[in-house]
Amino acid sequence: MTDRLNRFLAFWRHFPGAKVINLALVIAGLLTAWALISGSIDNPDRYLPSPLAVAASSVDMLYKGLLPSYFGDTISRLLLGSLIGLGLGIPFGLLLGLNRTVSDIFFPIMNFFQSVSGIAIFPIVVIWWGNSDKTVLAVILYTSFFPVAFNVLSGVREVPLRYIHAAYTLGASKFQVIRDVLAPGALPHIATGSRLSIGFAWRAVIAGEMLAGREGLGWMIFTGQDADMTSQVILGMLMIGLTWIVLDHYLLRPLEADTIERWGLVQR
Amino acid sequence: MTAKLVVQGLSHHYPDEYTGVSVHALDDINLEVNDGEFVAIVGPSGCGKTTLLNILAGLLRYREGNATVDGKKIDGPGPDRGVVFQEHAILPWRTVAGNIGHGLELQKIPRQERQDRVAEYIELVGLVGFEDRYPHELSGGMKQRCAVARTLCADPEIMLMDEPFAAVDAQTRITLQEELIRIAIATKKTILFITHAVDEAAFLGDRCFVFSRRPGRLRETVHINIPRAERNWGDIAANPEFVRARDRILALVREEVIADDR
Repeated sequence: MTDRLNRFLAFWRHFPGAKVINLALVIAGLLTAWALISGSIDNPDRYLPSPLAVAASSVDMLYKGLLPSYFGDTISRLLLGSLIGLGLGIPFGLLLGLNRTVSDIFFPIMNFFQSVSGIAIFPIVVIWWGNSDKTVLAVILYTSFFPVAFNVLSGVREVPLRYIHAAYTLGASKFQVIRDVLAPGALPHIATGSRLSIGFAWRAVIAGEMLAGREGLGWMIFTGQDADMTSQVILGMLMIGLTWIVLDHYLLRPLEADTIERWGLVQR
Repeated sequence: MTAKLVVQGLSHHYPDEYTGVSVHALDDINLEVNDGEFVAIVGPSGCGKTTLLNILAGLLRYREGNATVDGKKIDGPGPDRGVVFQEHAILPWRTVAGNIGHGLELQKIPRQERQDRVAEYIELVGLVGFEDRYPHELSGGMKQRCAVARTLCADPEIMLMDEPFAAVDAQTRITLQEELIRIAIATKKTILFITHAVDEAAFLGDRCFVFSRRPGRLRETVHINIPRAERNWGDIAANPEFVRARDRILALVREEVIADDR
């Protein structure tokens, strides 16, 4: 009996579709638990609508075109803010890393700002610019700039001095040292920092839309609560989590793994 | 013979990293290295030989004295002085060919000419077939061959070598030393080679500068009059000139080390 069980388990471990089926089973279990809890409480529409009710509300919002429009707003904000943040943060980190004294001074300052999260600077930005798109964008930009800049800076500081010296003795200019030594040497940190930055920016977009927005997924959650439409709140939460998983799994992680594993920078 | 490298009255002090106390690393160094000459510098550890090399490479600024290559004062690093470093300093994200051609790339040499010259140096150091490998796929000896080829390919006036074979195993080291002699014959480069190994200095150098313990001074110049063609480990051990030079260098180095222990 145990022999047959072991043989089945061995087969299952190597069965290509096993992972997907396992995941589907876990999700089915969670949905069932959710449905059971929802069915056993009073007034589920207010406290915990059933999965079916959430699905119905998503169909409704899809039909009205609200869901795609909110989703598009949020994604375009994320992309705009974080791409500008990365575009400024990566070169900034590289430049600071060029000079040891400068980077020693800036290291704690960058560490300070990367720890003050976007949500913590929201109130002051609202004081400056009110509840506007500009405010939301500024916070996303801030949130994505510092983690990547800080990571790139620490990456550059870890590039062995002998690589830099070798390039200079081959006749490299400062720009060529950045291009050929510091940037590739810090590439694993650039990848990790970018992933972190986009992750933080994703949180900041939602928070920003809740606090200062007029549309988007964060706004959708916020107005759902206001209008007593709990299924809309849960739908918003699901969208946030699912979008991140897709973004992370299909874009950010492969990018990171690729750069880190090439060249044997990390020995496997 | 013309002097390629001239060092006059060079002294160097630097503050100790932890205590801030001034360390006297080099004291009134005067030396000349002729065009096409192979000079070894030997001295006890901490005698300032690496400091001297870093100054000549332009990686360390000096205030007292003067150092010139072809009459031009050394002021910062430049492609006229190629360096082969102690540890592996080839870039892990570039292939063997990419590393060797890096200097030419930095000088913006056109691709075709670059490829031809890279192929030439890959052949010279015996790395044919490994052009597209990354450094982590190479043995220690191959990495240093690649480092030597990278330096030579940029066509420096003088090649500065800082204990380049210290980290490889004894068997590989012997092979690399013989190859370096062959390369010196083929390229006629001026080479300044720093080592703490007496045998290595006597085997490689046309002359050997023996340095004193800190503060580093040039104690004595030992001439080693052996034609390069006769420098291979099979024959040289029986060569009386090699034995004389090696014993002289060894005696000088030992005096320094013993004096240091007291």
